[in-house]
Amino acid sequence: MSDANPLGNILLYIDGSDNSLVAARMAIAMSKVYESNLRVIYVVNEKLLNELLKAKVFVQMEKMDYERDLEEDGKRYLNYVVKLADEKGVRVETVLKKGVVHEEVSREVDEYGADLVIQGELGEIHSLKDSFYEEGERIVRKAPCPVMVVRDRDRVERIYDSL
Amino acid sequence: MKLTDYIDPKCIKVDLSSQYKEEVVEELVFLLADCIDGKVDPDAVYNAVMMRESEGSTGLEKGIAIPHAKCDYVDRLRIAIGISRDGIDFDSQDGEPSKLFFLMVAPRNEAGPHVQAIARIVKITTMEGVKSKLLKANNAERVIEIINGIENGG
Repeated sequence: MSDANPLGNILLYIDGSDNSLVAARMAIAMSKVYESNLRVIYVVNEKLLNELLKAKVFVQMEKMDYERDLEEDGKRYLNYVVKLADEKGVRVETVLKKGVVHEEVSREVDEYGADLVIQGELGEIHSLKDSFYEEGERIVRKAPCPVMVVRDRDRVERIYDSL
Repeated sequence: MKLTDYIDPKCIKVDLSSQYKEEVVEELVFLLADCIDGKVDPDAVYNAVMMRESEGSTGLEKGIAIPHAKCDYVDRLRIAIGISRDGIDFDSQDGEPSKLFFLMVAPRNEAGPHVQAIARIVKITTMEGVKSKLLKANNAERVIEIINGIENGG
């Protein structure tokens, strides 16, 4: 946390889903209103790829191929957020990582000194066991700073458009 | 993500007629092609899926098979589901006949949804009682209802 601005550093987590791109608009709006620094992170979910390899759904070469594709996806989504931020005159830094998603987000919170993590609405959770499969849920539980979960696409669009 | 967002009831066949691996892939690919006319090249998809199968069978354990491939000749992630009551030799990991098939194809630039959908199918089909429920489904609507029920917490 910076002395001057209690919301000095905002970290946006995106996974490329529509919900995460709604969260991106909210993060850009908040960054503009609160004059916060904004960093956006996308994590290639290596854990999931390894689980599919272990289950023999993927073969090794295929897993590596998907990893590259996911990396390209990530770059595309990050560039999209940069473009959205540009439209509102907000500067955004991008970070692309590989690994266990919630661990990488937590690491980034520490390295960046994030005051707040913003992410999209969570998927349906059907059981406690299920919740451990949802990376968004894990971020809420594990991130070492406040986490804001963004919902209500229409309202967010109105906020973003009003800036 | 929700699987049912990617599954059209017209892309579900609860009484597959195929008896062999190549046949069942072809049957599912043409099912997909028929119900999304013009948005998929069946020959290209068939070749992509069989090419992937040549690297290692996607016949998993306990009667589940998830033949899949990336292919530039589909518009977005597409899923076809097939059920074979008798089972088909799909070179499965446990040597048992495969009965429940999820054919998945997606363009290269949709790796995220594709990977998530595959993981979700693995998860759902290994949940207690789900496979037997799906195998008893006698129409496409029932298959959707079962998957929907799981995804909505039922």
